[in-house]
Amino acid sequence: MTTLPTTPAETVADRRAEPLSARLHLWAITVDHKRLGIMYVLSGLVFFLVGGLEASAMRAQLARPGNDLVSPEVFNQLFTMHGTTMVFLVGMPVLLGMGNYLIPLMIGARDMAFPRLNAFGFWLFLFGGLLLYYSYIGAQGLYGTSAAPDVGWFAYAPLTDRTFSRGNSTDYWILGIMVSGFGSIATGANLVATILCMRCRGMTLMRMPLMAWMMLVVGVLVLTALGPLTAAQVMLLFDRNLGAHFFDPQEGGSAILWQHFFWFFGHPEVYILILPAFGFVSEIVPTFSRKVIFGYPLMVAATVGIGFISLSVWAHHMFAVGLGPVLDAFFSAMTFMIAVPTGIKIFNWIGTMWGGRIRFASPMLFATGFVAMFVIGGLTGIMLAMVPFDWQVSDSYFVVGHFHYVLFGGTIFAIFGALHYWYPKAVGRMLNETIAKWSFWLLFAGFNLTFFPMHISGLLGMPRRIYTFQPDRGLELWNLLSTAGVPLQAAGVLLIVWNLLRSHRKGAIAGNDPWDAWTLEWATTSPPPEHNFDEPPTVGSRRPLWDLKHPEDPDGRYE
Amino acid sequence: MAATSDATVDPTDGATRRDAVEWRPSRGKVGVASLIAMESFFFGTFIVAFLFYIGKDVHGPTGATALDVGPVIVWSICLLSSSATVVAAVKALARGAKAAFEFWMGATLLLGGAFVYGTAVEWRGLMLDHELFISTNLFGSTYYGLVGFHAFHVVLGLLALGMIWTLSKLGHLRAVDAEKVELVSWYWHFVDVVWIFVFTSVYLFGTGIL
Amino acid sequence: MATPDDARETPYARAIPRPTAGPLVAAFGVAMLFAGIVTNVGASVVGAVALVFGGVIWFREVMPDEAVEPIEATGGQTVVTPPPLPARDAPSRRLLLPVEIHPYRAGLVGGLAGGAAMAVVAAAWGLVEHGSVWLPINLLAGAVNPGMAAMGEPELAAFDGGWIAIAVGIHAALSIMTGLLFTVALPMMPRRPMLFGVVVAPVILSSLSWSTMGIVNPAMEEFISWPWFVGSQIAFGAVCGAVISRVEKVPTMAALSTSERLGIEQSEVGS
Repeated sequence: MTTLPTTPAETVADRRAEPLSARLHLWAITVDHKRLGIMYVLSGLVFFLVGGLEASAMRAQLARPGNDLVSPEVFNQLFTMHGTTMVFLVGMPVLLGMGNYLIPLMIGARDMAFPRLNAFGFWLFLFGGLLLYYSYIGAQGLYGTSAAPDVGWFAYAPLTDRTFSRGNSTDYWILGIMVSGFGSIATGANLVATILCMRCRGMTLMRMPLMAWMMLVVGVLVLTALGPLTAAQVMLLFDRNLGAHFFDPQEGGSAILWQHFFWFFGHPEVYILILPAFGFVSEIVPTFSRKVIFGYPLMVAATVGIGFISLSVWAHHMFAVGLGPVLDAFFSAMTFMIAVPTGIKIFNWIGTMWGGRIRFASPMLFATGFVAMFVIGGLTGIMLAMVPFDWQVSDSYFVVGHFHYVLFGGTIFAIFGALHYWYPKAVGRMLNETIAKWSFWLLFAGFNLTFFPMHISGLLGMPRRIYTFQPDRGLELWNLLSTAGVPLQAAGVLLIVWNLLRSHRKGAIAGNDPWDAWTLEWATTSPPPEHNFDEPPTVGSRRPLWDLKHPEDPDGRYE
Repeated sequence: MAATSDATVDPTDGATRRDAVEWRPSRGKVGVASLIAMESFFFGTFIVAFLFYIGKDVHGPTGATALDVGPVIVWSICLLSSSATVVAAVKALARGAKAAFEFWMGATLLLGGAFVYGTAVEWRGLMLDHELFISTNLFGSTYYGLVGFHAFHVVLGLLALGMIWTLSKLGHLRAVDAEKVELVSWYWHFVDVVWIFVFTSVYLFGTGIL
Repeated sequence: MATPDDARETPYARAIPRPTAGPLVAAFGVAMLFAGIVTNVGASVVGAVALVFGGVIWFREVMPDEAVEPIEATGGQTVVTPPPLPARDAPSRRLLLPVEIHPYRAGLVGGLAGGAAMAVVAAAWGLVEHGSVWLPINLLAGAVNPGMAAMGEPELAAFDGGWIAIAVGIHAALSIMTGLLFTVALPMMPRRPMLFGVVVAPVILSSLSWSTMGIVNPAMEEFISWPWFVGSQIAFGAVCGAVISRVEKVPTMAALSTSERLGIEQSEVGS
């Protein structure tokens, strides 16, 4: 520390007392990982509501056959923007934002390794998202009208070619995602550097909370996956704006190459979206089972294993394009293989709960809901890994049901669990437990009502991305059930939002450690001071707060 | 495991704290390594696209007919030798030899600049003599995409190195800044290593020499 | 006060980074730079200017040294220091699950004993229904010889030394593996080991075999008598379970650290 502030007026306490405009200015110029984390989560939640509205509109359109609530063109925009929003503007920022908030606290650091880069990453994500949504106003669509992108979140070539996608809505998709992708890359590098370099004294790699391990692997995956996506998007941008021919079959270009590039990003992306959720659950389950996590070293090994294998399963999204038996067999086998470390995690969470004194507070409800829903999504995933089965149901609602069990029943449930678990730390007040339980059960019931019937309608032959369906194919009931779940989910989500808002002022004071938890973030005040810890902590085990509370029986002996 | 008896009293504020700091990797190095890893995958994607599309053009010109390897070898030697000069520059700065630092850094800038000039000359020839543009055919798209992004990274590296050189000329660079300069030099080495792969793909595989 | 060298070694040891608008302005610049491609070149110009402007602010924050602010102590509970480790035999209130386990040796012996019992039942089936003890043995070897499905019963009922060796090998390996699984699974039903051995395990294993037999061993699929097969599974489960549950349990090593379990001695630390 060589440069001290020039005037004492710039110190932390003085800044807090200033009026609203000045406080907003402080949020804009902040480099504090906690403020950035909160901004990530809040903007992610706003985008979540928008993406949810888009999904609700699609379900309303599909409530009965031959419906004409929205036109086919608008429907295409809806599923494109829904998918893109949920993956790039909800999943990634909320998860990276949670990592941003929690990782420095968990490893006993004052901030991320590169605080300014951290702020840069957040603003890039936000501006990228706004650029994408500006397409609703600014983009030129098919008939010269304004139009959002409508090529699907995977933007398969050659539909994205100038010939087939007129106007510039697809360019908005490319640029919005690319800009927010730069932000993700910055945050990924920041997470890796933070976890490797900023750990407090005694925090060896094998003493880190499991969430830190998961975020480390996520950081590495972001670095490996986003580069190819950006490269492929640049190629597509060249195709569309400079007349290049990367994905133009008429000039010898290959549409399949786009699919390879996209899914080389796309499948690690799935693990970028699920590994932090694993991290949240690995923190919540031990705390509410009153037991240490079962098989910590194996959990670490499984996480790293998933990271590696996830780089070689991408073509299981492409079985239906005809890759040939050798590639099909390889990617099928790798996909089965990745189920092993994932299964280890499931068993270890169950092993942690087994024989524990389980408290079903709201975070634990969401965490157990996560485990159950993720198992269903994982099992249908294994079914889809079988090439002949995949050929039958590829691009059907079975696939839609599968990945919503993984990403909604999995990731989003874990995110809500994490919100309920760490909200007291970030805000200093408890969420209302009654509202939380209502929102969980509404969401749980609505989720299953919406997405379970999709497996059946998919097996009956309902394809994805169609704006309506014929009345006499036996699909009416299942689609009606799927739509009937939407109001329940909407009520659950709105209850959560309301709970977050009202508890900010009315919630019970949380204190430092409301859950009697064991990781470092609960050692400091709620909310933590700007510098996190008055003195950099020192840890002697994986559960420093257990050691603190039970000095006669510390953990170090058992690790 | 937890050895806990090495706490000492800090003479500056009287607080009890650990006397030694456990080793952690430098965040600057990890950060630059992360950036390089990401960029490797970025370039890897362009290289895969280039190699995949060799021989798939429906009409020329292609690498075999349009590219002239001879001058590129000269420019490549310029770029690759600049890796050595930048190492000499960092070493000079670390031992405080400012004049030597500015000499070697200047040499790096000249060699890197020569490479960019070489690329510009080559592109001019391709556009005027062979009428090859990014929109001409697959070879044009993949060639300009790959070589262009590499040249863009060389220019970024030159800007960073040039800024360091200017700071040094203005007297703002200290010996303790050698670590930061070293990190920039890592990036420069990375750009050079990528060129080896680009050269192999474009001028050896792409021209049919290999 | 810390020296600059300290600051480099542990970032933010005594300070936190100072807020700055640089990243926000630079990010806005990047977004506008790209937005210009789809809107108006003017947006790109604005973006480029903002990017340079933000970059300069940013650069001045980190060069020549990082701008930081001192920490204000808040008086919160923020000192976390691990307590010294107590002596190894100090009392602990923790419950370590499972408390006792069957040794793997028991699974080895139990698996072989159960395998022998199963072989007796299988041989009895061969004698009673087909008049040959060799038939079940040859059928088991069919797992590695898909061509066997095409052979006739006389060939399959004949003695063949090679097939016997293969069948014994397969049977011993599977028996030992199943026995080891038993040792792990039995503590889940600590009060009724025989329920597991005689009912649960045979049901699971038989249904597993029933659903996969056609793929794993088509030859056996042709001849198999499922009542006898289930009987042989029960014989295995009963004998294996009985052997394992009679072997004395050993305390689990869950109370020991990983390095101790691996046999690496470590010095007792702490006061």
